[in-house]
Amino acid sequence: MLDTVRQFETPEGIFLRLRSAGALPRAQAWSIDFVIRVLVCWMGMIPLAFLGQAGVGIGMLVMFVLMWFYPVVCEVFFHGQTLGKRAIGLRVVNADGTPVTWVPSMARNLLRVVDMLPGVYGVGLVSTLIDPYGRRLGDIIAGTMVIHTSELPSGNHVPVLAAERPPLDLAADEQAVIVDFAERCAQLTPQRQQELANLLDPLTGQTGEAGARQLVAYANWLIGRP
Amino acid sequence: MELERISVALRPRTPREAVDLGVVMLRANAWPVWSAWLVFTLPLVAACVSLGLLLNLPWLGIALIWWLKPLFDRVPLYVLSHAVFDHVPRWRETLRGQRQWRWRGTLAALTWRRLDSHRGLRLPLELLEGLPRAQRSARWRVLCKTIGGQTNMLIFGCLQLEIVLFLTMFLFGVLFVPGEFWPDSWRAYAREAIHNVPTTVTLLVSAAVYLAMSVIEPLYVAASFALYLTRRTQLEAWDIDLAFRRIRQRLQSAGRALVLLFACAAGLLYQTHAHAAATEAERVHVEQVFDPSPSQDDAKFAAAAAQVYRDPRFGSTHKHMGWALRKPAEPVQAQRPIGDSLLGNLFAGGLYLLMWLLLAVVLGALLVFVIRHAMRHPVSWKKPRQAALVRVHEMVAAAAMPDDLAGATRAMWQAGQRREALALLYRGSMDQVAAAQNKPLPVDATEADCLRRARALDDTQHSQRVVAIVRTWQHAAYADRFPSDSDIDALLTGWPAQHARQV
Repeated sequence: MLDTVRQFETPEGIFLRLRSAGALPRAQAWSIDFVIRVLVCWMGMIPLAFLGQAGVGIGMLVMFVLMWFYPVVCEVFFHGQTLGKRAIGLRVVNADGTPVTWVPSMARNLLRVVDMLPGVYGVGLVSTLIDPYGRRLGDIIAGTMVIHTSELPSGNHVPVLAAERPPLDLAADEQAVIVDFAERCAQLTPQRQQELANLLDPLTGQTGEAGARQLVAYANWLIGRP
Repeated sequence: MELERISVALRPRTPREAVDLGVVMLRANAWPVWSAWLVFTLPLVAACVSLGLLLNLPWLGIALIWWLKPLFDRVPLYVLSHAVFDHVPRWRETLRGQRQWRWRGTLAALTWRRLDSHRGLRLPLELLEGLPRAQRSARWRVLCKTIGGQTNMLIFGCLQLEIVLFLTMFLFGVLFVPGEFWPDSWRAYAREAIHNVPTTVTLLVSAAVYLAMSVIEPLYVAASFALYLTRRTQLEAWDIDLAFRRIRQRLQSAGRALVLLFACAAGLLYQTHAHAAATEAERVHVEQVFDPSPSQDDAKFAAAAAQVYRDPRFGSTHKHMGWALRKPAEPVQAQRPIGDSLLGNLFAGGLYLLMWLLLAVVLGALLVFVIRHAMRHPVSWKKPRQAALVRVHEMVAAAAMPDDLAGATRAMWQAGQRREALALLYRGSMDQVAAAQNKPLPVDATEADCLRRARALDDTQHSQRVVAIVRTWQHAAYADRFPSDSDIDALLTGWPAQHARQV
């Protein structure tokens, strides 16, 4: 099964799913960051221009800080998100899903020098296209990866119905699917809802709209509504 | 619909994740995609470039290659759509398949729709679904509703990546050409080259453009196809469909188990017949998989589908009323900051001083750190470091186990070292258990392991007492709850505690 998810099992038996991000969203985030940094530099240059050579020096310092420390500071203090990454819904984490800390963040941002070759991020692009989790060389060496954090487009509200216990014992994943159905049925046409509910007539004993309502009632029971 | 055959993990995805899924799909089918791509496109590209050279219009070759992109897109889509639902086609099959696929959409994309930014999303709709015209536009509106913006971002992102790849090749080429091969005067060379581009330069640039396109264009098609799959998964809940089918199968097979026993004998007779039918069912065509339209004679279904298309959720126009300022507010004139060269010099001098101070502080801190580190951890090259667990184990094992376990424990308990007393009792009992079972405890045995070992003892009374000791120890160690003196006495009588130590 092809997927972009990297899965970890914690010692407590909980599965962490990291949805790795590839070249295209990352390029978008970088572009936003680039525009922000250019704008800040440009806005800073206007008052500094009145200070003569000292102004040029300060401007270069600002550029240096923005180039090397803007990503590091953002990643360490703002949950692994620069402004561009926040806009796109990405986050930098360690390869095991823990928040990124100083050393990996410094490492991955210093290695931009390599990924940037030959000045247009060509090496980084090729690396993100080849790596299964879309990491550039800096990420691979620093042991970090970039993941998606934006919420999934599935619904999050089960329609309220009188709860009803399913007549058979269901496995955990089967229960999850029934709740999933109830959450997402608002996105489906009534016909499609009934078509799906008809598949489960051995469970509900009903077809059509009654079957769909029955499944929603089961979902209400499964999520613990009275 | 033959969803069971899909080779992609179906789940709700954001459009951006769908784009990444496209990259994964492409990587998984890299060889079939690019072999077919090269065989299909290379002759056409060669023809375009030679036409440009013949007409002495060097830009024409590159422009033609770019213009033909929608034609090339068919190849990756054919491979990927078959690979997802059916089997991975080889390049011969892919080229043969192109003849059977419709050309109407491609012709449109090559002419009046060449600048359409939704080209990638239109491909599966035109080539895989093949609906009649009236339904197609309605369906397009449904598909495009939430991912239209993302499709635009995708095509511009791919354009960006293509330029990046081209520039990478170009700049690396420039970097690796030795200096003596460059013309002496760039200006003279450029003036000359604009009027008469050398053939080698045309060929090299065309090759770089073609290579960059070969990498990114299949990626674009794959990402668009993944967007399409994700959108349909969202609209039709394909993942729930699959899971429901699995539940249904489980429920039915449970009921069928009894019937199956009786059917077994009869089934043997029909085996050959069933096998033939199964192979017939195995053969699906990708066009059937994607075709959302029902069989034509089913009038009831068609009526239901028409009803669905009338649903206001699928493509309708909305009117929003609101108030807006007729004249935007005048921007406030910013005051010009007043500069002074004296101030600048002072500031620069301060920064200069600060820099040296910072350097001194850093060097001093480094020195202090090194000295402290050297004092705290004297360097020893002889002993390699051991795992922490093994070291702890050795430390514990080195502490001698008293011969009279009960006596030693009681002495410690009465001296007020309650925790240490219980720890000693626990360790001593586990030694006894290990000795009784003639099987040493592993280094990393947890309390649960010890309990399991204790329950495996033959003597129930012994086993119960060891379990009680372990439980008492756990309560003391993790909850700080200590037993009363009488409980301790009960634990210390009998087998594990009052047993001579066996070594």
